[in-house]
Amino acid sequence: MKSVPTLSSAFLHPAGQTLPEPLLALRKQRASGLVDMPLPTRKTENWKYSSKYLKLSDDMAISLPAAGKAGNSLAVPGYKVVFTNGVMIPEASEYPDLDGITIQSFSDLNADDAQNLSLQLGGTLNHDQAQFARVNGARFEDGLLIRLKPGAVLDQPLFVIHDTAADACGSAYPRIYVEAGTNSQMTLVEEYTSSGEASALVNTVTEFNLADGANITSIRLNMEGENVQHIGATGVLQARSSRFESHCVGFGGPLRRHDLQVRLEGEGAETKLNGVVVTQNKQHYDNHTSIDHVAAHCTSEETYRNIAADQSHAIFNGRIHIHQDAQKSNANMNNKNLLLNNGAEIDTKPELEIYADDVKCAHGATIGQLDETSAFYLVSRGIGRQQANVLLTMAFINELVSQIPVAAVRETAQLRLNDFFEQTFQEI
Amino acid sequence: MLSIKNLHASVNGEEILKGINLEIKAGEVHAIMGPNGSGKSTLSQVLAGNETFEVTEGEVTLNGDNLLELVTEERAREGVFLAFQYPVEIPGVSNLQFLRTAVNAMRKHRGEEEMNAAEFMKLAKDVSRQVDLDPAFLKRGVNEGFSGGEKKRNEIMQALLLQPKLAILDETDSGLDIDALQVVSNGVNALRADDRAILMVTHYQRLLNHIVPDYVHVLAGGKIVKSGGRELALELEERGYGWLGIDAVDTSN
Repeated sequence: MKSVPTLSSAFLHPAGQTLPEPLLALRKQRASGLVDMPLPTRKTENWKYSSKYLKLSDDMAISLPAAGKAGNSLAVPGYKVVFTNGVMIPEASEYPDLDGITIQSFSDLNADDAQNLSLQLGGTLNHDQAQFARVNGARFEDGLLIRLKPGAVLDQPLFVIHDTAADACGSAYPRIYVEAGTNSQMTLVEEYTSSGEASALVNTVTEFNLADGANITSIRLNMEGENVQHIGATGVLQARSSRFESHCVGFGGPLRRHDLQVRLEGEGAETKLNGVVVTQNKQHYDNHTSIDHVAAHCTSEETYRNIAADQSHAIFNGRIHIHQDAQKSNANMNNKNLLLNNGAEIDTKPELEIYADDVKCAHGATIGQLDETSAFYLVSRGIGRQQANVLLTMAFINELVSQIPVAAVRETAQLRLNDFFEQTFQEI
Repeated sequence: MLSIKNLHASVNGEEILKGINLEIKAGEVHAIMGPNGSGKSTLSQVLAGNETFEVTEGEVTLNGDNLLELVTEERAREGVFLAFQYPVEIPGVSNLQFLRTAVNAMRKHRGEEEMNAAEFMKLAKDVSRQVDLDPAFLKRGVNEGFSGGEKKRNEIMQALLLQPKLAILDETDSGLDIDALQVVSNGVNALRADDRAILMVTHYQRLLNHIVPDYVHVLAGGKIVKSGGRELALELEERGYGWLGIDAVDTSN
């Protein structure tokens, strides 16, 4: 019998020791639990379609060095925190002292805060479904802690730029923890970018812990290069009457994986998850979402769109679990897919587990191709075939992209998607 | 302007057009009438370049240029415009974006500068009023949720914006009430010009009360079986197609 491959022990050794003691201790403890962690194979249910894209090597286990300067100096319409290879770059970050809101790197935490954080980190996630979040737990070199006191409102979006500077082979482990107090509000924009050409792995964890009535909007743009494998997990815990809204826009790569887990633990909590994925050439993207309706009277609304061109491969797995006591749950999941070429593959799988009897739960999934009649209509007006295809493909996701609440991010996403499709249709 | 010689076309191996001959000069308006299934819509689609139909024989030239060698968008840029019988709904692409992209594709082809959003908006508003279409429609998806009449007015609006050399109107009167018919007809009449040819495909003579053609042709069994002036349409209205030796075909719908 062939033995199951395990995570190389090289991945268990973080480089830096600059974190406060309680976090160092936590990291060490997490690492000890990872000895012989089985790597996913095609027999691993939640990695069935994606394990073949995962290419880990020992030299990739090396922590990418925290660059001295910011890899990304773009102006953003809001506050900005820049991380390079998972380590905060204070010189490149711009945010004011705000009443009731603290934004701090893990390395800057005092012993008490670090102690408290060490008790919370990872608490929003089911690690059995997001195995690599454990690796992040053993490897994070730094991180961002955002705490909103009760009633605090962040008046502008906070952009967290996570740049992977891959000048040599290695990996980075960005981490964000958001603790949103009662009735607090903020919009967090995570942008994942990369520079350099060497093979790299980015393994991210972002956690949102929402107290009663908190209102959080999360926008996530995955835009790393072809040399970067990305495995990310986002965990969300929602207390009573809290509201969480997520907009993910992902561009394919050699390996792209995002697990988004939401637990609705307080009555009246609402969650809305929007996602757009585009892949071309031999790219890959795998979204696994999971919504647990634990408490009664909660609402979840999930809409994901995948567009796959050439020989690329997109995967959507949407799980909704309605627990026994979650009466009057209202859950709606919709996944539409567009295949642009015969060689492309899209796998979509809704998973519904319903243990309460008085609930509304609907799901729908479709896979289709560009409509020739629509294309003919457009070209009959003199619009070139390439441009017609771009228009029709953008039309497939406009409904979601147009909902991104920060105008600058929305426009960036639209431009990048447009460029992506122009490239996709160039040779047709 | 437009010259069609011995045009044969098939779909899925079945021949629909069986040798069409037609000459339209600049400034003229021609109407093609005929019973259902005679090939009227096929002729429109073939001229516009729909690849579902295969041209097996014959030639089509526009101002001497071989149209059949051009793909659909190239024909459009050379001045061919087809007002669809069933305009397509495209949610997610705004009417404004669609129209501006089309107008700019034409301008680019002619070596003119592209119009910016503000310039185009002004033009589009003016033209939408010409066909009595609320400018609010510009912001909606292409034909999305438009009534039958609004779709037809949107087609004529596109013709007015794109200023084609040859406008083919496929059953533009179908599904229109009297008021909408008047608006659409006014739009088409506004298109009439000395340097433009118009080919109207219609089932009913009533449109021809509003847009008076110079010539009327009867298409049956994939061929033009009779040509005449305006009075031919009136005669068809009165006597049906039977007297032309065309097999009785149900023309009631």
